[in-house]
Amino acid sequence: MRREGRLSGTALIVASVLASLLLVGAYLAAGGSSYEPKQVQDPCDPRPWSDPQTLGQIANQFTISALDGAACKLGVSRETLARALATPEARERFTERYDIDDEKLARAVRAGLLRAVDDAEEAGALSPLLALPLRRALEEIPLEQAIEIINDAQGFLSDAEGFLGPASDLLEQLLPGPGLFR
Amino acid sequence: MGTSARPRVAALALAVGVVLADSSIVVLALPEIYRQLDTSVAGVTWVLISFNLVMALAAVPAALVARRVGPGRAASVGLAVFAGAGLACGLADQLSTLIAARCVQAVGGALAVTAALELLPATVGSERRAATVWAAAGATGAALGPAVGGLLTELVSWQSIFLVQVPVALAAAVPILAVAKHEAATGVIEPELRETGRPHLWANLALAMVSASIAAALFLLVLLLIEGWRLSPIEAALVVSVMPLAAILSGKLADLVPDSRARAAAGAILVSGGLAGLAFLPKATIALTIPPQILVGIGLALVLSALTETALGGRAPQAIHGGWTISSRHAGVVIGLLILTPIFTSDINQQRHDAIDAGTAVILDSPVSPLLKLDLAEKVSQQLESERGKVPTIEPAFEPKPSDPVERAEVEQLQGELQDQLDRGATHAFSTSFLLAALLGLIALFPIALARRVDL
Repeated sequence: MRREGRLSGTALIVASVLASLLLVGAYLAAGGSSYEPKQVQDPCDPRPWSDPQTLGQIANQFTISALDGAACKLGVSRETLARALATPEARERFTERYDIDDEKLARAVRAGLLRAVDDAEEAGALSPLLALPLRRALEEIPLEQAIEIINDAQGFLSDAEGFLGPASDLLEQLLPGPGLFR
Repeated sequence: MGTSARPRVAALALAVGVVLADSSIVVLALPEIYRQLDTSVAGVTWVLISFNLVMALAAVPAALVARRVGPGRAASVGLAVFAGAGLACGLADQLSTLIAARCVQAVGGALAVTAALELLPATVGSERRAATVWAAAGATGAALGPAVGGLLTELVSWQSIFLVQVPVALAAAVPILAVAKHEAATGVIEPELRETGRPHLWANLALAMVSASIAAALFLLVLLLIEGWRLSPIEAALVVSVMPLAAILSGKLADLVPDSRARAAAGAILVSGGLAGLAFLPKATIALTIPPQILVGIGLALVLSALTETALGGRAPQAIHGGWTISSRHAGVVIGLLILTPIFTSDINQQRHDAIDAGTAVILDSPVSPLLKLDLAEKVSQQLESERGKVPTIEPAFEPKPSDPVERAEVEQLQGELQDQLDRGATHAFSTSFLLAALLGLIALFPIALARRVDL
């Protein structure tokens, strides 16, 4: 028995093609193919500072610069190093995986901190008067302390300011421009 | 159709539906089986592949057996074996036992399904009508499978999927037993030998391609919902039920178009279009999966019935040619899974790796304090590494929230950005596989174009 047809085969095919194109077109127009995972930047590339205004913002960029510098030295991404420095267990997993001893890690973290001071000074966020003693202090700093500074850059920068004592207030008044910290 | 024939038609349709649902019913239970039986992703995929592979290999021999021993007896024995093996699946506590039982289940299922096609013409009055009922029951079963499996997994357990099949299969066997008794009493072993035509190469080839595409649609969507978007099996079951609903509601569309080749082509195009839509989801939102699912559902209803009717049209014996269609469909499912499993497994692993780095980058670039951000970076990466590859919610990594209102707002914004990044990443990880599945559906257009047109 033949069924009673009311639609031609061609009409059905055309409708199917149109429905499919409409759906795919709408999804593409809405950004369906635009996803790109956030790219991980090469830590050795310069990462310009974005005009920090407060000590908190300076500390934030200081940390990023320090991580970049240390990661560049170790040949890993900034993201990998950040995860490694968060806890002692994570650090142990990291050093085992990348076959890095504590001395090598210490050298890299110190290099990272020095790069952070350079970047801060270059960005005008840190006075050369404070940059000089900071560099000196960071050059021989033990690993645990160096990691602590990356974790708590704000505390470190506040302490550094306090370290100059009453001289810091005098310097702030005498210095034209940004002062010890902008 | 007389009133006495109705229970038998319903029983045969139920038998076909239950058996063919089994090719996809475990899809939503796979993550649970994976965890409970402590196996690998590749291992658990064999719970699905083994059934389909044995169905593909056993369908034609089963049809020959059905013709030799009598379709009533073959269907009854097939359903009994299917039920018994289902019980073994439900009681299995090792992957190897489960896979072995699934293979036996497939043998019983192949016998029942092919024999059902031999029994249906006498029950419904014509071979064409029988082919339509048989194809529709199979398509409905295959489409409903994942949703039913998901509901049972969530409400009871994955084992219940198989245990529930036992009484259903036995209930389907009861009305068929009368035919088996009649065969035994009259000694009808081999009906008239009127073999007409070789297996329809193009229709069966197209069925394999389209089945690969549809199986991929179900399998990938379920994985995306459960593993990518963290839905529970019951939620995923509700979401994927759009596909069978669309298939059932559009069943009448086939009646409006007499040209089977056009219906098959339109169906393949819709399945591919729906899969391409799933490949380009703009956001990780359930609502956006509905339009593509509707297209796949309508396409599935059109293409499976049209190709099955074409493969069976004017050919005899029906059981043998039905066996070839079953074989093609299940071979297609196996091919689809074998092609796509390594691709999406690799894509998901790559996505997880990218997500950990991208997540850390988002945290490091955020304005939250360095002390907090390094702690968060570590907690989030631990969270992402956990749950055996599942993309988890990152909420626990952000607890407890800072008490300072400014910092709290920054952290909450960061959490939202990060979760969005992870959800979109998980969705994107399935894109290549969905596109490949769409391509398989489009490739089916070639054999469909070469198939002889059959007007209903």
